[in-house]
Amino acid sequence: MARDLRRPDHLPKRRPDGQPPHPSWLPRQRRGITPQMIGRYPDYDVFDAEPTWDEQTRRVVKERLYARGPLRFFASDEEPALRAFCDTATAQDAEPRVPVAEMVDRKLANGWLDGYRYHDMPSDEETWRIVLSGLDHTAQERHSRPFAELEAPAREEIVGSLAAGKLSGGPWEELNVGRAWSVCMRAILEAFYSHPWAWNEIGFGGPAYPRGFMRLGQGAEVLEPFETPGATDEDPVRAAAELER
Amino acid sequence: MSARTALQRLLKGSVTPAANDSRFLLDVHSRAIPGRERMRRYRDDDEVDLVIVGAGAGGSVLAQRLARRGWRIVILEAGPFWDPDEDWVSDEAGSRHLYWTEPRVIGGEHPVALGKNNSGRGVGGSMVHYAGYAPRFHPSDFETRTRDGVGADWPISYEELKPHYEEVERELPVAGQNWPWGDPHAYPQSPHPVTGAAARLWQGAKRCGIEMRVGPVAIVNGTFGNRPHCIYRGYCLQGCKVNAKGSPYVSHLPDAIEHGVEVRANCMALRVEIEEGSGRATGVTYATEADGRHHLQRARAVAVAGYSIETPRLLLNSTSRRFPNGLGNNSDLVGRYVMVQGASQTAGRFPEELRSYKAPPPEVSSEQFYETDESRGFARGFSIQTVAPLPIGWAEHVLADGHWGRAMREYMRDYNHWAVIGVLNELLPHPENRVTLADEKDRYGQPVARFDYTLTDNDKRNMEFSTDVITEILHAAEAQDVLTIQRFAHLIGGARMGRSPEEGVVNEDQRIWETPNVYVTDGSACPTQGSANPALTIMAMSSRLAERLAGGAAR
Repeated sequence: MARDLRRPDHLPKRRPDGQPPHPSWLPRQRRGITPQMIGRYPDYDVFDAEPTWDEQTRRVVKERLYARGPLRFFASDEEPALRAFCDTATAQDAEPRVPVAEMVDRKLANGWLDGYRYHDMPSDEETWRIVLSGLDHTAQERHSRPFAELEAPAREEIVGSLAAGKLSGGPWEELNVGRAWSVCMRAILEAFYSHPWAWNEIGFGGPAYPRGFMRLGQGAEVLEPFETPGATDEDPVRAAAELER
Repeated sequence: MSARTALQRLLKGSVTPAANDSRFLLDVHSRAIPGRERMRRYRDDDEVDLVIVGAGAGGSVLAQRLARRGWRIVILEAGPFWDPDEDWVSDEAGSRHLYWTEPRVIGGEHPVALGKNNSGRGVGGSMVHYAGYAPRFHPSDFETRTRDGVGADWPISYEELKPHYEEVERELPVAGQNWPWGDPHAYPQSPHPVTGAAARLWQGAKRCGIEMRVGPVAIVNGTFGNRPHCIYRGYCLQGCKVNAKGSPYVSHLPDAIEHGVEVRANCMALRVEIEEGSGRATGVTYATEADGRHHLQRARAVAVAGYSIETPRLLLNSTSRRFPNGLGNNSDLVGRYVMVQGASQTAGRFPEELRSYKAPPPEVSSEQFYETDESRGFARGFSIQTVAPLPIGWAEHVLADGHWGRAMREYMRDYNHWAVIGVLNELLPHPENRVTLADEKDRYGQPVARFDYTLTDNDKRNMEFSTDVITEILHAAEAQDVLTIQRFAHLIGGARMGRSPEEGVVNEDQRIWETPNVYVTDGSACPTQGSANPALTIMAMSSRLAERLAGGAAR
């Protein structure tokens, strides 16, 4: 059943269970790459406009395509929990994945601070280590297995408790759980949504210097020549035929 | 309409500053300030007329004004001297180096996040990455104690700042519709075109009976000397690579350097040196970033312009026998009355694609709720402004409404259908909202700042009321879904002006009581903050201070 993007029926707050629909309604990406190859702009690739970017921005953005291990900040015994946590927080359950774990590792290894620390919290570096060991602690407590070995629903339940600030015992006693969530998510969101694959997924126009943007209207009038409108998984030929009828 | 307003309207687009050539000194084809290799250099043991700490809104304007009067000036700036072509990018995460991300500690019941939202580092200061809104304070802001029984009265009035507001508006320059609120005035440049996203929000406001106006934004609308027109790129918060957005980097420092100011970058001020007998400042000790070596720049006067966290920190770290608790802190006022503004934002979902990442994030605003209205149940008020987060900012907004994982991805994929509107609440000054020194030390061995912040009941009522107003605007605009984030923005106070040493750290000439020659020339000198973005006021205050110093009145 095709959906109308003008309607908000896919938005979690507009749905009885507060959760989005299964991503099967989304089109497979036809051009460029998106995380898990789903998105709303199947014919859009931000790199189509790359020739119009300035050299400095191109370097910074393209470097993200090559974020690879080995991890420098996290130890090998922390890596499974780190990857499972980043995957769960960003709902990445298949390749291609935005390399969130690698990007978080790089931020911490390079000492890129955010400019503040809560007085009742350890350093961001220490907070990350405590959170990962806390996730394993809670997973063992609830399911007798490490966090990385849990099925997605069990991981989501634990991360949900972390987001709500409702985890206790073991490592969690060493910090303010709600603030730890915000420290981790700052890094995770910055990693995920700085990656050009995520821009393809959400239809973001990307870098815009020295070209700029010209079309400032709405609907069809807001599209630059290199931008494409949002789409669903409906077959355009069949949709047109249905309209004819 | 006054004759003056009529004249300004007639001249719109051709009103330019009289005593500032920055716009012509910039290059048409490259963005860096030309002539750095020819910049005047002083030696540490040259006794210059003035050493300024901080090359941001406050420090740069003071330097530019006084350099034109022949003062020999060195500005010490902790961060780098930017070359926008090389150092800035059209990218959110790639712009982290524009922010003050050195260690700081936050506390209190409502800790305020620092870093990217409210702290700058490098030549040009935080105006390099501010959105561009450049409203004036209202006349009422200067006497909230008298009018509303809250906050504080300033030792100076709006009228004293007014000519400086006008001059700085010509220099930035500011574009916008004729302004009906506060002291009604016109702007030197015409309003920018409005995007579909902002138009939707504006329509909602109209249906609620709320007046909004385009601007005021310090973004060139037309060419301005050698500065090009805005290209509607949308990356104002990442540093304007176009040189269209006004900041001291383009509006004051080119002229300052041309008139002999030395901007000494990568130099972290550690201490203002005080002569024990006379209480006079003799200069500033600073460390060079490259080798950590300490130097003392000698000067006949010192102006501190490090903003509301670093200015108190520098003063508190500047202990001497005469000032055992920090420079100017004998009444225990340094670091107190630091304010932030409530800055909730609500996002609305619309059927059409709006792609609000295009055009500058600041577009349309309202000051209809700025003053006290007793029927609302709290003192003072708020302003309303449209904004437009880029993807990482939008993700933080979605997370703040409680969505992560699959739900977050769904909202994020819907990015192009959303428009965002925000408020700026005037939160009241309180002595316990303060900057102190933490036990932790930075790379120079200098104690770092700790900033404690707690909201009062009046603040909470203001924030709650204003969030309801912008939510109503979205509903009136027929938004299909709404997401809200509670946050703070801007910093003000920490070394405020007062009529006596018991009331403020500095006097009406922004000179530290008990010293003959140390000035505070940034937002920390403000006793109240209104619900206006502070940049223009900080510049106007420095412009006024320069006039006082040049005229000898302040000595």
